[in-house]
Amino acid sequence: MRTQRIHWMTLSILVVVSLLLAACAAPAAPTAAPVATEAPAAATEAPVVTEAPAPTTGSLILLDWASYEAPDYWTTFAKAYPDVKVDFSFMSESADSYAKLKSGFKADTVHPCSNFWKIMADENMLAPLDTSKMKNWKDVSPSLAAQGAFGGKQYWAPYEWGFEGILVRKDLVQKVPESWADLWDPQYKGHVAFYDSGETAHIVAARVLGFDPWKTTPEQDEQIKQKLLELMPNVLTIWSSQTELEQMIASGDVWVAASAWNATYINMINQGLDVVYLNPKEGRMGYLCGFAIPATSTNYDLALAMIDSYLDPTSQAKFANDMGYGISNNAALPMVKIPAAAVEGLGMDNAEIISKTMFYQYLTPEQRQAWTDVWSEVKTSK
Amino acid sequence: MENRGRFISLIGPPGLYLFLFFLMPLGVMFVYSFRAGISGVAHDTFTLANYQSFLTNTHFHRLLRQSAGVSLAVSTISTLLAYPLAYYLVFRAGSKRVTLMTLLIIPTWTSYLLRIFSWKLILGSNGVLNSLLLSLGLVEKTSPILIYSRGAVIVTLIYVWVPFVALPIFAALERIDKSLLEAAADLGCKPWEAFARVTLPLSLPGIVAGFFFALIPTLGEFVTPLLVGGASGSMYGNLIQDQFMRALNWPMGSVMSLAMLLAVLFLVFILTRLGSLTDLAGF
Repeated sequence: MRTQRIHWMTLSILVVVSLLLAACAAPAAPTAAPVATEAPAAATEAPVVTEAPAPTTGSLILLDWASYEAPDYWTTFAKAYPDVKVDFSFMSESADSYAKLKSGFKADTVHPCSNFWKIMADENMLAPLDTSKMKNWKDVSPSLAAQGAFGGKQYWAPYEWGFEGILVRKDLVQKVPESWADLWDPQYKGHVAFYDSGETAHIVAARVLGFDPWKTTPEQDEQIKQKLLELMPNVLTIWSSQTELEQMIASGDVWVAASAWNATYINMINQGLDVVYLNPKEGRMGYLCGFAIPATSTNYDLALAMIDSYLDPTSQAKFANDMGYGISNNAALPMVKIPAAAVEGLGMDNAEIISKTMFYQYLTPEQRQAWTDVWSEVKTSK
Repeated sequence: MENRGRFISLIGPPGLYLFLFFLMPLGVMFVYSFRAGISGVAHDTFTLANYQSFLTNTHFHRLLRQSAGVSLAVSTISTLLAYPLAYYLVFRAGSKRVTLMTLLIIPTWTSYLLRIFSWKLILGSNGVLNSLLLSLGLVEKTSPILIYSRGAVIVTLIYVWVPFVALPIFAALERIDKSLLEAAADLGCKPWEAFARVTLPLSLPGIVAGFFFALIPTLGEFVTPLLVGGASGSMYGNLIQDQFMRALNWPMGSVMSLAMLLAVLFLVFILTRLGSLTDLAGF
């Protein structure tokens, strides 16, 4: 009996101590490291050097999307720094990379899309890029680069852009859909795949209802929720990984894949499937993604060299040819030779399609919370 | 003195490990649950708003109940399936025991994802089963069978957990002194009576261990629902993931995780009291 009491006492002391420790430790976590301002200052004061000033040994951790790790996409870095160890940690979506950095994950580059660019710059999570040291910066599309500059500093190097559209198995549907609104058509019941993102769900429903997705009123939000609830009977599954989606399209389980990316279209036609990438009435959705260096990185120069290497024209052209994404380096464009069917199918060179495309924009934390909550409720309603 | 030294050297390392990697994070989560957010102004002020909004959000409660239902179903059925399996291995398999035991464990050596994908190959629209039904003329149009539903989540989880539930039952059955069964037979017990009055009560600790082995982790499952749950299979774990990874609302995610922890403790409490299993098992 006595030993038992001692055990309970020990246990409760442990709990109390751990709570105290946690209370002390926790506040430190979310504040941004002060390194942010130091690194770039040192970098800009340094005289302009043409040869790479980065150390030739060391290691880099890239927080990046899966399939971007192929050495084909950073050949010049591998050649210039053969002794640097390069490791990849994968992010499943932009929010994920933000959450990982917030929780103290130390990465040397990070690669979310532009809807997360402002918040990360605002919260001092990044070290500005010293573009004078980047050989390929001069060829980067100025309009894309402009989206990555905040407060007069260039935080982001745009890398790729792409569409989010509707991919359809032409051989399986009676009638090919023409708009986002057709996702609600009962003839596709049980064969629609929808992307697992409250942000995307909100934007899709808002556009179908004719609202400006980023300026919805509370009444409109309620209508959006009802609209999404009405979509659920048509939805077979909510997808979150590209591989999983492609497997379900190929198996014939999914006929209509919403928010499919360019690479999925390329992979499906490479498999010989009869698919079409819609140009919906409301216009497609689009995104722009790129690299930045987290303020906590202790390998600033190497990270900068790595980003520069990703921007290399030959590497970027190779990337575009493999994936069918749009790229940021204008000097690489002449080398892009994706199959004609793919260019045409995706409309990568079609100015009209691009002008009708709605690109993801910055959303406030309140919007992020509200949209996620609505989606959580909708997707668990069935 | 010697005893205490042994106690510390045995309990110390795992205790320290659990303290650092279990109790500490739990404490961090507890602290986070009273915060306003992870970024922005005043994100670290003390607030009870997260608890309040959890208590008023009925769809969280519904999903928690639903998930508890799923994990109860999974652990009950897994236990029912695992028991005869373990029984056969201990009392009937004889020299084949090691081989059969290995066969039971082997599937867990392959990647979980790979196993799920191969399920989809069998059950999907172009899958083996559909092709068979089509060629036999039993169906005219193919459609996914069983997958993409809450039922699929339950079936998959049972498949995953049966071997793990079988192991503690196996261990418990193996410990039973065979002479007890002989004595029962000598005293005129029919085989089923011997089973009901000797084997089953003595194997109860294994049953209880196996049952909770499956119950506790499945309540927080979020990977299986993502893969086979389709549009109706989401579980409570998926909502926690949404708060942490998508809404970036760690405080709310923490409240939801703590609520789940309480739910598990509650379930364990109820179930151990139910029919005083522990008395039967003799501990």
